[in-house]
Amino acid sequence: MAMRAALRCLSVNFSPRLPQLSSAAQVSATRLLCRSGAPRTLSTTSDQCTALKFTKKHEWVLVESGIGTVGISNYAQEALGDVVYCGLPEVGQKLEQLEEFGALESVKAASELYSPLTGEVTAINTELAENPGLVNKSCYADGWLIKMTIEKPEELDKLMDQPAYDKFIKSLEE
Amino acid sequence: MLSHLRGTFCVLSAGVQRAWSSSSCLFMDPSSPGLVLQSQSTDVFQNLALEDWIDAHVDLQQRSILLLWRNRPAVVIGRHQNPWAECSLPAMRSAQVPVARRRSGGGTVYHDLGNLNLTFFASKKAYDRRRNLKVVTDALRRVRPQLDVQATDRLDILLNGQYKISGTASRLSRKSSYHHCTLLHSADRSAIATLLRPSCPGIRSNATPSVPSPVANLTDHAPSLQWEELLEAVVQQYSSEFGLTSASRCVDPADEVLFPGIGSMEAELCSWEWTFGKTPKFRVETQLELRDEQPVARCSAELQLEVKNGLVETCRVEVPAAWLPERLSASLAQALLGERFCPHRAAAALSTLLRCESGPLHGRLRNLCDVLVAAMG
Repeated sequence: MAMRAALRCLSVNFSPRLPQLSSAAQVSATRLLCRSGAPRTLSTTSDQCTALKFTKKHEWVLVESGIGTVGISNYAQEALGDVVYCGLPEVGQKLEQLEEFGALESVKAASELYSPLTGEVTAINTELAENPGLVNKSCYADGWLIKMTIEKPEELDKLMDQPAYDKFIKSLEE
Repeated sequence: MLSHLRGTFCVLSAGVQRAWSSSSCLFMDPSSPGLVLQSQSTDVFQNLALEDWIDAHVDLQQRSILLLWRNRPAVVIGRHQNPWAECSLPAMRSAQVPVARRRSGGGTVYHDLGNLNLTFFASKKAYDRRRNLKVVTDALRRVRPQLDVQATDRLDILLNGQYKISGTASRLSRKSSYHHCTLLHSADRSAIATLLRPSCPGIRSNATPSVPSPVANLTDHAPSLQWEELLEAVVQQYSSEFGLTSASRCVDPADEVLFPGIGSMEAELCSWEWTFGKTPKFRVETQLELRDEQPVARCSAELQLEVKNGLVETCRVEVPAAWLPERLSASLAQALLGERFCPHRAAAALSTLLRCESGPLHGRLRNLCDVLVAAMG
């Protein structure tokens, strides 16, 4: 399909007109997520925060003390449009990597959510029930979706880091 | 009337209808980068299962598919909607009209044999709802140039700028997408008014709401437009817009050979767990009017319940103590916990309690039970 025609498509056509969150902004979002109380510097030891990891389905995972927080990337929230409903799993639900665990309904479509890792859901973001737009407004911080245990840490190693994800997005736009 | 409808609505192409011995013949035919299918079934669950099956099994990276289908009367709610809020389940039970929950988003619609459903399957890259709706509006303008039909920003199609003749919903899954829409040719509009209203009062929910609109049938404004003519126009327009040359084909969604596994997809769509159990958590807060006949007396009570996964999670029945002792109203509330939010289940759970309680309060207790059951839709 000609590039122009591809760019005309809605939804999963990820419009290059709107700027994405810059890498610097994403790193500070990481710091925001890691903050548990008083501000502290970003540590790289394994029991502290690690950097954001991304899936090909445009979800991010951030690991802190063995728990992964999951959300969708800026690229994904732009493509989805205004989120009107978040269908999330129950706490305690066991998920396999790539298993469908819920759906986001936006003005553009109902889109399935796929688990980035194998583990058990420990928390869901209950703010999203009243305020689903948080997924658009603050996709790396207040718009987080679920928290889960990490049964297979090796799965995390296979996910993309920031630079790899940026490259991946660029390749989709071509 | 619907006298122009026929038993099957497969539009046969010039030439022989091929028998499809397996889905690979149907979907992997290299000579057809696109495909138009017409479902032989008028069962809403079979047709929704067919959409699921195509979405899950067909490689849509290189091809697009248009599926045309229609259903015997049914109400179809969106993925994240509340069936008790969207339709009158008691009225539907009387009319024997089922409710189905689809996997795409959006609002509630009434289907009958006068409504054409169109599903446009494509890869995520090729997902373009406006282009799909243009197929519909161009087709209509070609067969009836005087018709004023326009797609809106919400992707409804309006007739004369006023009446909704089509609504849209869609789904993005692992690798592919589908966009489906309705098209009112000659549906029974009186049924819409009767069926699409809440089952019970006092529902408080953050489920996705419907946006009610005045509707019209195409035949109200173009009475000579035949069903087959409409189908033919849409098929031709789709073929020319997407550059296809293949003729449309009839498929039977009940055919497990052609669509292996479709039976269990259909079973899931029919299940209570999917239809009702997937309802987002909601509350019911309503006043109950109680009465006694001997002597004649009245009283108001409050009901508050929370329903999660279609089951009563919490329940409070506040009845003035002078009317009924608190222990009785509390034990009624207790009896409903964990039951499906359903008048039949409620009646069964409460009848056990009623049997245990004889004496002068029996009449008031029975009245409270009846009123509670009626509040459950």
